[in-house]
Amino acid sequence: MLPSPFCTIGPYFPYDFVDGLEDLTHFNGIAAQGRHISISGRLLEQGGKPTRNSILEIWQPDANGIFRHPLDPCHAQADPGFRGWGRARTDAQGNYGFRTVLPGSYSENGCARCPHINVMILAIGVTRRLVTTLFFADSPESVRDPVLDCVPEASRARLFPRLVSTSGAAAGEYHFDFILRGGEETPFFLD
Amino acid sequence: MDYQPYDDKTQLDRQIERYPLSFTRNPSAPLIQRPLTLTERTGPVGLERELGAGPLDLSRACVEGPSRPRAVGQLISVFGRVTDEDGSPIPNAIVELWQANSAGRYIHEMDKTDSPLDPNFTGQGRLLTGPEGEFQFYSVKPGAYPVLESGWWWRPPHIHFSIFGVSWMDRYVTQIFFPGEPLNETDLLLNAVHERDARNRLIFEYDSTSMGAVNAISYRRDFVLRGHRQTPALE
Ligand SMILES: [Fe+2]
Repeated sequence: MLPSPFCTIGPYFPYDFVDGLEDLTHFNGIAAQGRHISISGRLLEQGGKPTRNSILEIWQPDANGIFRHPLDPCHAQADPGFRGWGRARTDAQGNYGFRTVLPGSYSENGCARCPHINVMILAIGVTRRLVTTLFFADSPESVRDPVLDCVPEASRARLFPRLVSTSGAAAGEYHFDFILRGGEETPFFLD
Repeated sequence: MDYQPYDDKTQLDRQIERYPLSFTRNPSAPLIQRPLTLTERTGPVGLERELGAGPLDLSRACVEGPSRPRAVGQLISVFGRVTDEDGSPIPNAIVELWQANSAGRYIHEMDKTDSPLDPNFTGQGRLLTGPEGEFQFYSVKPGAYPVLESGWWWRPPHIHFSIFGVSWMDRYVTQIFFPGEPLNETDLLLNAVHERDARNRLIFEYDSTSMGAVNAISYRRDFVLRGHRQTPALE
């Protein structure tokens, strides 16, 4: 059987399906373990124009590098305070924002995975979802990761959110702009 | 599960003539092939309690009590199954639904048409598939609505679906159309699927055999989410 066709989310995805889900730092009334962070920025299209009224979803392991999913051999130990999945929408200026935890590293087939968050973008004009992955490291140049390694070297740095400040109130605030087309275009994966 | 990249022939074009945003919002660089690791093979599951997925009747607004007036419009019953590419059912899949009311109006601040709202219709809800991947809900048939900024494009009646399968790879969003609608012939999205069989997978089938206790027209749509059960290793 052939997969059903994907189609654009359109302009009228209910706000009720989004609001509140941009915060992953609590689940079932329990605070998530690990370092709470924010990731915010803008969704931009060709010419640096803001892409408003669009939906971003994220999927990531918890602070200990465990996925809340039965395929993860450690999933029984997944953080009960962490949902792993979130959703946000962009405003008229293209701004989005998530609150989550810094994802943990884990080992897969003997390789350490660089801490990362998967992202999917849904918008008017986007008939099939756009998927990418954000990576977290102090020195992006030295990172080895089986998914990141597929990205052309020149554009790898575009997948690392920028830590706004390491101290004070802005510690744990990350900034990332998704550029759908043109200029410093964000690398997206074949889906 | 084993996932292959979507075959373009089964999908909508990414760039569609006369649909300007499809040219400014899709990457110019080729999409990058990557291995599928644990992070892509896992995904959001078991969120039905938090997201409030359950039995769904969109034909009445979410009011409790004995008097639950029905929304204006043709009552419809929509049903189908969610499976993977092998036809195996996907139970406990959350299905999010949203649609215009019978006048073609959404409850959404971006809807700038002057069509009336219906106090008995929200047009949004979540349900959960059963043990065989099956689902059913009542609603009213949505009206057509114009894409105001286009100056010409009327969207045919359709219902939006968003489905949470078993992983990040089979997360799925679409729109399903009604059979026999004249506006289907000119819709840019529906006609961005070129093969007729694939296009028909975006259209409900009128189900002529069922007539229940209520006067609802039945429409069926099955969904095939991407993914094959892993082929067992040959020994
Ligand atoms: Fe719509």
